[in-house]
Amino acid sequence: MSQSVRLTGGCQCGAVRYALLKQPERPSICHCRMCQKSSGNLFATWAGVEPEFFVITRGAWSAFASSDEAERTFCSNCGTPLGWQNAARDWFCITIGSLDHPELVRINRFYGEEGRIDWTGEVASTHGTVSGAGGDWPLDRIKATNHQHPDHDTAEWTPHPASMTEPSTK
Amino acid sequence: MEDLDLGEFSGGCQCGAVRFHAKAIRENPHVCYCRMCQKATGNLFAALVGVGHENLTWTRGKPSEFRSSEHVGRGFCRDCGTPLYYRYETGQHISFSIGAFDEPQRIPLLYQMGLEGKHPSLFHLNDVEEVGTTESAMEDEAVAIKRSNNQHPDHDTVDWQPRIGRGQ
Repeated sequence: MSQSVRLTGGCQCGAVRYALLKQPERPSICHCRMCQKSSGNLFATWAGVEPEFFVITRGAWSAFASSDEAERTFCSNCGTPLGWQNAARDWFCITIGSLDHPELVRINRFYGEEGRIDWTGEVASTHGTVSGAGGDWPLDRIKATNHQHPDHDTAEWTPHPASMTEPSTK
Repeated sequence: MEDLDLGEFSGGCQCGAVRFHAKAIRENPHVCYCRMCQKATGNLFAALVGVGHENLTWTRGKPSEFRSSEHVGRGFCRDCGTPLYYRYETGQHISFSIGAFDEPQRIPLLYQMGLEGKHPSLFHLNDVEEVGTTESAMEDEAVAIKRSNNQHPDHDTVDWQPRIGRGQ
């Protein structure tokens, strides 16, 4: 048994935190259109555990039933997509990017081939820069006022509140 | 920054409570691997493209916004959680999630940034095992999902009633 495993994670603002008590299984990418749309991205990333190996350690997530077969969970304060759970709730997947250390979960398969955008595999070969390297990105100011929860559990944490806002116009 | 000559686009969140229309998109479709984009999206990167304020219309509902730092807002749907945008408060455009567009395949990526956060699996993405389409890998589930799909269709709708999810 892998009794000592504990992988932690949570949303960007830190209102919802969770822990996996075993190394998650089936680390994957899903290209299906429902994963794309719900994540606003080219694909979603998942890894799962049985419910007895999953615990919410802070707050509560919200859930959207994307169909009768599954719910997609997220933080209602900052919007981070956090999980996917089947209707029977006997399998919990978390989004790999919401883990404090996503690099510890190496993806070994992908699903939803029908939705795969054909240039997705070329992402790794497009021109690239590290954050701030272009000089036109206010990295110092972002660092100085970062509202993201740190990549480890915290004893106390007050999430920065969300706002309902009209984002258009300057 | 110039706009791309790719025409107009619509998009929105999964449940359809928030919809937008772009008369044009900026010439900056990209992915960002930085840890803030990862965490905000729960993913390995954010895939973003700018829409100039002059070209943007919110056609249904309003997003919520989280200030990930003092000058940066990240928009999302409060009802279903879909990450919708990144914006710098003095920016001339709002950077929308490419996957939230109805036709993301029309938006080619031009560059990648935030390489300090690039996930190791992305260096061998084309070598990851393919387990097939949703229909072939999850035959029974795919039928049931289609029958009860609560996702907004990939086109604008005149009337739409989002199927609001339940809390935990």
